[in-house]
Amino acid sequence: MAEGSGEVVALPASGAANGLSNGAGGTSAQPNNPLSRKLHKILETRLDNDKEMLEALKALSTFFVENSLRTRRNLRGDIERRSLAINEEFVSIFKEVKEELESINEDVQAMSSCCQDMTSRLQAAKEQTQDLIVKTTKLQTESQRLEIRAQVADAFLAKFQLTNEEMSLLRGTREGPVTEDFFKALGRVKQIHNDVKVLLRTNQQTAGLEIMEQMALLQETAYERLYRWAQSECRTLTQESCDVSPVLTQAMEALQDRPVLYKYTLDEFGTARRSTVVRGFIDALTRGGPGGTPRPIEMHSHDPLRYVGDMLAWLHQATASEKEHLEAFLKRVTAPGVEENIQEVVGHITEGVCRPLKVRIEQVILAEPGAVLLYKISNLLKFYHHTISGIVGNSATTLLTTIEEMHLLSKKIFFNSLSLHASKLMDKVELPPPDLGPSSALNQTLTLLREVLASHDSSVVPLDARQADFVQVLSCVLDPLLQMCTVSASNLGTADMATFMVNSLYMMKTTLALFEFTDRRLEMLQFQIEAHLDTLINEQASYVLTRVGLSYIYNTVQQHKPEQGCLANLPNLDSVALKAAMVQFDRYLSAPDNLLMPQLNFLLSATVKEQIVKQSTELVCRAYAEVYAAVMNPTNEYKDPEGILHRSPQQVQALLS
Amino acid sequence: MATAPYNYSYIFKYIIIGDMGVGKSCLLHQFTEKKFMADCPHTIGVEFGTRIIEVSGQKIKLQIWDTAGQERFRAVTRSYYRGAAGALMVYDITRRSTYNHLSSWLTDARNLTNPNTVIILIGNKADLDAQRDVTYEEAKQFAEENGLLFLEASAKTGENVEDAFLEAAKKIYQNIQDGSLDLNAAESGVQHKPSAPQGGRLTSEPQPQREGCGC
Ligand SMILES: Nc1nc2c(ncn2[C@@H]2O[C@H](COP(=O)(O)OP(=O)(O)O)[C@@H](O)[C@H]2O)c(=O)[nH]1
Ligand SMILES: [Mg+2]
Repeated sequence: MAEGSGEVVALPASGAANGLSNGAGGTSAQPNNPLSRKLHKILETRLDNDKEMLEALKALSTFFVENSLRTRRNLRGDIERRSLAINEEFVSIFKEVKEELESINEDVQAMSSCCQDMTSRLQAAKEQTQDLIVKTTKLQTESQRLEIRAQVADAFLAKFQLTNEEMSLLRGTREGPVTEDFFKALGRVKQIHNDVKVLLRTNQQTAGLEIMEQMALLQETAYERLYRWAQSECRTLTQESCDVSPVLTQAMEALQDRPVLYKYTLDEFGTARRSTVVRGFIDALTRGGPGGTPRPIEMHSHDPLRYVGDMLAWLHQATASEKEHLEAFLKRVTAPGVEENIQEVVGHITEGVCRPLKVRIEQVILAEPGAVLLYKISNLLKFYHHTISGIVGNSATTLLTTIEEMHLLSKKIFFNSLSLHASKLMDKVELPPPDLGPSSALNQTLTLLREVLASHDSSVVPLDARQADFVQVLSCVLDPLLQMCTVSASNLGTADMATFMVNSLYMMKTTLALFEFTDRRLEMLQFQIEAHLDTLINEQASYVLTRVGLSYIYNTVQQHKPEQGCLANLPNLDSVALKAAMVQFDRYLSAPDNLLMPQLNFLLSATVKEQIVKQSTELVCRAYAEVYAAVMNPTNEYKDPEGILHRSPQQVQALLS
Repeated sequence: MATAPYNYSYIFKYIIIGDMGVGKSCLLHQFTEKKFMADCPHTIGVEFGTRIIEVSGQKIKLQIWDTAGQERFRAVTRSYYRGAAGALMVYDITRRSTYNHLSSWLTDARNLTNPNTVIILIGNKADLDAQRDVTYEEAKQFAEENGLLFLEASAKTGENVEDAFLEAAKKIYQNIQDGSLDLNAAESGVQHKPSAPQGGRLTSEPQPQREGCGC
């Protein structure tokens, strides 16, 4: 306001000054009349446009209120007084301002010095902390470095070390169960042990070696623990059903890396199962099923075949089951040779039953239940040897060996029994019966042979194995039989002997013909029969010739030589003798059956008898033909030869056929 | 994982009987392999197969003994009846003679198994209906009279084969449940496996060794 008012006041002052100077200037411009110029100038003045003048006038009008002479005279003084007052006011105001400014200056001064002070102190502090900052920075970088190292170390530990839980899983307490997690931890140890090899190729060899050793140790501890656990698990597997838990199969999978422990565990399993199987076998033998059905196997010991068969079937089933258990036990094991392991352990498991089995079968065999039963038992044993080896393979397991031993024993006793029978045949050779049929010893022996061969036929032994037995059985029985027949026939006449032999051989042949693998023997028997047939044919022919009185005539004709002279002159070959023979021969021709040797009626085979009749008749015809030819021959000097032998050989032949 | 097949609670022993050629081996093969083996070789003596089934949520392992039907093998095969929990008695619906022989097979089965053995009669070759020689009704009646389960099946098409083995298993399981089959007795034809907790205990007492006893 002070300024405002100052301006207001100042403007008229300058305006007045302007007016004054203008007046002075006008005087010089219009020198002719200063007044007029002055007037002129005033007149020319455009008050409307001169704002200063207007303002000055306005200000003037505030205090120049009374236009009087006095006031007009005093105007200048008034104005000057006013100006003075205003200036004085200015002064006092500026004085105030000056004082204010001075105080501000003082303050600023103080501030400045204060700042100065602070700056210097800061400077000092800065100088002092410089060191610290350097240190801090250093520490910071250090810390960052360490941080990274810690991360690396953590990563390293995570990769190359186990957690505490894992550690305690592996070390475990003695009683702790083995679980899935154990195998995970074990897997980690293996993994680490493997991975750590990388370190050996870096400059971290020491760490690598240490970790390796540590892991190796841990692995051993873990395997040791796993083994103990698996071992005691196996010991509990003594039920007939064998519950192999998944963890146990996993344990075996893990243990395969430690062949010794793996083997021991397998052994433990085998031992447990072995005693279980023995117990089961003994129970089946002596206790039987629930409430006694099925009855204990031993109840059938009076029926040797069933007794032995039941025992072997039980073992067959047990062997199959045990193999299954083992397959379950080792199903996760991938190492080569698992199949062999299984066979080996099944062999071990079934070893325990061998003794009770052997004792019982031996008892049966040595009680000599007869050749046929012995043979059946022997075949049964052979069958089971074959069947069980299908399960346990051909490895020399004790069970198979035992069965094979029993098989051989039964076979030996069987052949002993056959041989004994055969030698008895020779001890007391009977005379052939009056009907020249097979002797009772022959019949008995053939019945035995038939039964043996029949049981052989029905046995379950594979074909090729059967043939070998056959040859042996046949020679063991047939050869002594043939001998016996020959010896027993040796005191008989030719026809009796031949008849008896044909009958005996024929019996043997018909017995054998029912069975396989007998062709060679049959052929041999046939040859022998034919030899005796020839004898019988000749015997029958000469029987006929003798009975009709042609025998002597025929012999003489056959042996006649020209130097003996003509036949008709030889003794007993005259026409009378010939005619007499011809009468007899005619009688024969009318009823040839009347002239059969009595022995022929004893022949068991009708075909054989027919064959003999037929072939002997042919011989008779041929003999007649020879006699006839000789008689008809003129050099033999028979008179009326057609009258003596009134039948031509053709007629004879026709009559006899 | 492959562990599953071994987690079973029971083992049932079966026997398959019946005349030669009725399809016993084919039934077994169809059941265990799910395939029809048209030119199945003759069974010599006995053969066996296994499979795991499920009855009422229980896993059961069947151990099945297939016998030769020929008369000459009977001395061997009859030893396998003992200890069978189930018997499948098979005839061929196209051959009446195989049906007529059933009573003799049944006699054997009754004499040689235990009283609880479940016997199921199976008329096989049901696919050959055109050549049928034995009616369903007739066989059904025979089965009822003798207290047997009965089904017609075909080893060729697989029809009812699964059921035949399952029905018998259900019946056996039922006998166990109602207590008529004593599991503790030896040779019941059933073995029970109490499902052990995962990972057994080390504390369990080792079983006393009983080897070589009683002989
Ligand atoms: N069409 C038909 N043929 C069958 C069936 N089952 C078995 N076969 C045939 O019957 C024959 C004897 O079978 P197999 O199983 O050896 O009889 P097994 O002696 O009782 O064991 C074989 O040729 C099979 O192909 C069936 O369901 N349908
Ligand atoms: Mg078969």
